[in-house]
Amino acid sequence: MFILHFQENHNFMTEENYNPIPQPDEIDIREKEDAMGAYLMMFAALGAGLPLPILNLVAAIIYYYINKGKSLFVRFHSLQSLLSQLPTSILNAIAVFWGARIVFFDYAFTDVFKGYLWLVGIANLIYIIFSIIGAVKARKGQMYYFLFFGRVSYQSVFKRREADSLKVVNQPPKM
Amino acid sequence: MLTFEIKHQDRYSRGELLLRTFFGWLYIVIPHMFLLFFMSLWGAILSFISFWVVLFTGRYPQSFFEYQVKLIHWNTRLSARMFNLSDDYPPFGLDAKDEYVNVDVQYPERISRGLVLLRLFFGVIYVLIPHLFILFFRIIWTQILVFIAWWVVLITGEFPKSWHEFIVGTLRWQTRVNLYMSYMTDVYPPFSGKP
Repeated sequence: MFILHFQENHNFMTEENYNPIPQPDEIDIREKEDAMGAYLMMFAALGAGLPLPILNLVAAIIYYYINKGKSLFVRFHSLQSLLSQLPTSILNAIAVFWGARIVFFDYAFTDVFKGYLWLVGIANLIYIIFSIIGAVKARKGQMYYFLFFGRVSYQSVFKRREADSLKVVNQPPKM
Repeated sequence: MLTFEIKHQDRYSRGELLLRTFFGWLYIVIPHMFLLFFMSLWGAILSFISFWVVLFTGRYPQSFFEYQVKLIHWNTRLSARMFNLSDDYPPFGLDAKDEYVNVDVQYPERISRGLVLLRLFFGVIYVLIPHLFILFFRIIWTQILVFIAWWVVLITGEFPKSWHEFIVGTLRWQTRVNLYMSYMTDVYPPFSGKP
């Protein structure tokens, strides 16, 4: 009884709560390519020729909003790519800001900054490696879950939304 | 492969011609170029990514390809008005239809990866230099024709058909070179502006 009550009040990743995951042979090549493209937005700044790391994030956001209506598969990969880009984008933006202060305002090039650059470099390397793996998997029509972001994206994209829950019900004023 | 047509009208509006000449920059060029700047920036990003995708998979992503074609269409709609090849205001938007301008590119299922590398390293030598050399003179002649045609349209209300074809041919030629150099086709652009 308690278990049933508990399950009713919590959203478990069960088949009833989530839309079915499309299998590779059910996805056409166009969808696979669109999903792959989401991860490649990490090169947007290079493509635009503007050395602004934040541009990658902007591109990922635009890409997500353009493609989110196409299919659940494309939407999942677009969202995962976008979310996974947030930490590195913030780290990069801080590095650029900090570096600009050193170059233009004669702030000291401290060991702390050097250490931070190492951190940023490693974070970017990890991000690029995982994104390339994600792009390759998406091109093959496979789901690929990043740590944390994969779960969040899956829950956001595949979770069923009952039509009734979105329906607005007018209520009388609180007495 | 490439459909590139700008319809020749029997009659051209003298009023629109004058309006475009004196105020076109204000009500046509600035609003369109403002939007096209951002659209082209996105196009450049997609183009860069597509290069790598083509290099590794041998396929140009279809959605990206369609976006580039729509962008070319939009640019052509604007060019048609700036060269006085068409009347009416050019429609905004990637999906807009234009009764005078028709641009379409057949989607290639495969793109040769060898040719991609060849273009990357030697494209300047075997594509850009020979084509741009001839196009340089052709564009000068096109500008002269546009100038003379302006007076002809103002006086007679008609655009000489052969001149119209020549100017459209120049735009078509440039588009073919762009398509080839942006890896959207494997067909080497002919040294001609004919369809």
